[in-house]
Amino acid sequence: MSETPLIAIVDDDEAVRDALLNLLQVEGLGAMGYASAAAFLGDPVSRSFDCVITDVRMDGMDGLELQRRVRSIDPLMPVIFVTAAIDDTTRIRAMTEGATAYFTKPVANAELMRELFLALRLRPGC
Amino acid sequence: MPSSCANFFSRYVSGLAVEVTSLRPGVAKAGAGSHARDREMRRYDGACWALDISRARTLVASLAVGNRPAGWVERLLRETQIVEANANAVHLFGAYAGRDRMLGQPILAYWPAEGSFILADLLISAIITGSSTLRIRSLVLRDPKLTAWLSDDESQSDTLFLAILANPVDDRSFWSLRSSEERYNNLIHHLPFAFLEVDSRAQDERFDQLRRDGQTDISAYLAERPDDILEARKIVRITNVNQSAVTLFGARDADQLIGPVDPLFAASPDSARRVMEHHFAGDRRHSEIMKLRTFDGRLLDVSLSVIYPTRPEQLDITLIMLEDITERLRTEAQLRQLQTDFSRAARISMLGELTSSIAHEVNQPLSAILTYAETSLRWLSRDEPNLEKVTQLTTRISDSARHAGEIVQRIRGMTARHVPRMALVDLNDIVDEALLFVRHEIEARSISLSVRLRRDLPSVFGDRVQLQQVVVNLLVNGIQAIQQKHASAGAIELSTDLDDHDAVTFTIRDNGPGIAEEDFNRVFNSFFTTKEEGMGIGLAICQSIIAAHGGAIGAANLPEGGARFWFSLPAGR
Repeated sequence: MSETPLIAIVDDDEAVRDALLNLLQVEGLGAMGYASAAAFLGDPVSRSFDCVITDVRMDGMDGLELQRRVRSIDPLMPVIFVTAAIDDTTRIRAMTEGATAYFTKPVANAELMRELFLALRLRPGC
Repeated sequence: MPSSCANFFSRYVSGLAVEVTSLRPGVAKAGAGSHARDREMRRYDGACWALDISRARTLVASLAVGNRPAGWVERLLRETQIVEANANAVHLFGAYAGRDRMLGQPILAYWPAEGSFILADLLISAIITGSSTLRIRSLVLRDPKLTAWLSDDESQSDTLFLAILANPVDDRSFWSLRSSEERYNNLIHHLPFAFLEVDSRAQDERFDQLRRDGQTDISAYLAERPDDILEARKIVRITNVNQSAVTLFGARDADQLIGPVDPLFAASPDSARRVMEHHFAGDRRHSEIMKLRTFDGRLLDVSLSVIYPTRPEQLDITLIMLEDITERLRTEAQLRQLQTDFSRAARISMLGELTSSIAHEVNQPLSAILTYAETSLRWLSRDEPNLEKVTQLTTRISDSARHAGEIVQRIRGMTARHVPRMALVDLNDIVDEALLFVRHEIEARSISLSVRLRRDLPSVFGDRVQLQQVVVNLLVNGIQAIQQKHASAGAIELSTDLDDHDAVTFTIRDNGPGIAEEDFNRVFNSFFTTKEEGMGIGLAICQSIIAAHGGAIGAANLPEGGARFWFSLPAGR
């Protein structure tokens, strides 16, 4: 892949968003953060992302709904959930609705990156 | 008649004091029969009787030679008949019957039983020697003297005059005063709380002197002279106590209490100072709760009430009432402890229902910390470590860790055993803090939350944790109501405001099913719940907490559907 992959991070927690942005930066990926699903969907550049990492519970539209919206626009867009929600029903719903991966916070970088690179069809270390 | 009797006798007739300057009974010599008698009696403004002793002559003769047959006192008084009584004698002794009823009756019928020996003694002495005077004690007369003398008139040799020379303390009749005195004694001796009569005249004099010296700030004065307080505790004396006081003090008998008031204040020296301050200020009464060390060594909580005498009362009697409230205070403390334990149990139970919300709150900063830390390691493991980045990320780690610490602290605050601490708190802050516990419950259920907090809200006096608990409970209640309705667009509105009575209010509206008509009167009852899970203590706890804060709480259905719960708290100053 010649271009640097671009990842969207949608999380209403500023620290989490900032931490993930830093992680992707050190991994050599491009990333942008959004404080809400609405902010992301409303951004004209939202279609140019290669993957969406989102929380489930957020003020306003939640992550599951965001996944549905994203899929309706781009059925192949990978969506990775990183959430502090610990209930299984949400995990199952997210996965049956086609989530690429579902992590419960706190998440180890290595696991997140492995799934992210898989989603981006890139091998780790690339 | 001793000359000392002259010039001291005054009485009150229709409020007019009449000074009688001369009282020489022996001077009436003229006239005969009832005319002379009446004239002699008219010389008196005091209570005066003319008595016929003819029937008692035999007994008197026997008594005169030293015989004292059994029942002689009563017999003498029965054989001595009243033949005339002046207005004051009627007034003082006649009860309701009046003069006509008195005449022809034995003096025994009107003389107080406890004074009969004194009168009998006086009568004999007067009959034998011609005249006799006694100082007597009376509850209703001031410095009373009783005097009796035989008529100088030969034609009335069996007529004995009897007069009471004194200042009446009160214008009421002797009988009504006696019965009033009796009632008073009965009352204080049977009162269920300790009652002390205290003579503080010695202290009054000191206060008078202080006032003459221009002293006005007694607090400052006493603060500089603690010895004066100790001195007052010695010179102010307990003069009378009831049985309850003896019991309260654990005293052997009443005598043990008679004396300086000092023991009363042994465990509460400051109370003595305050009692003195109110006394100096001329207050009518003073009440406070203080510690009392009893004679048998117990330490009690007592409620002290002091009633200071004011004119025209007798200035020598300050009344002190003590009520043992040790048990009551202990019960109240136990009750408070129970309420505290109960509300804590309810908080823990409530937080149990909110674990996923709480986990979410704690997980957010933890997640950020982990990601920051691992990212830092990645920057460090590069061939050229980016120290600038690492420094930046490490700073953020510490920020997030601090944030996580604060959240944990708040949760611990809700679960820790704590003594309710009343302080001035901002209700808006409390609402913000309470939202921490439920925000994700609300978000998880896609409930739209609107918060309208009024700015410049006055503080309220309350316990932060308990008020947070109330707000969280009301929020959870609203969330669960919405859940019951299974409606899609759940909405909760929170607001704070100031009402017309300057009370700070909190209101929460939900668009759930509302409160069923039949449930209206019991929504705040313990163990009432419409939910399948839950014990039904949440709203009951809210009510008891708000009540303990001197506030009000209520619920109503909204016309557009849903319910409104509110509470109000008095603004703290």
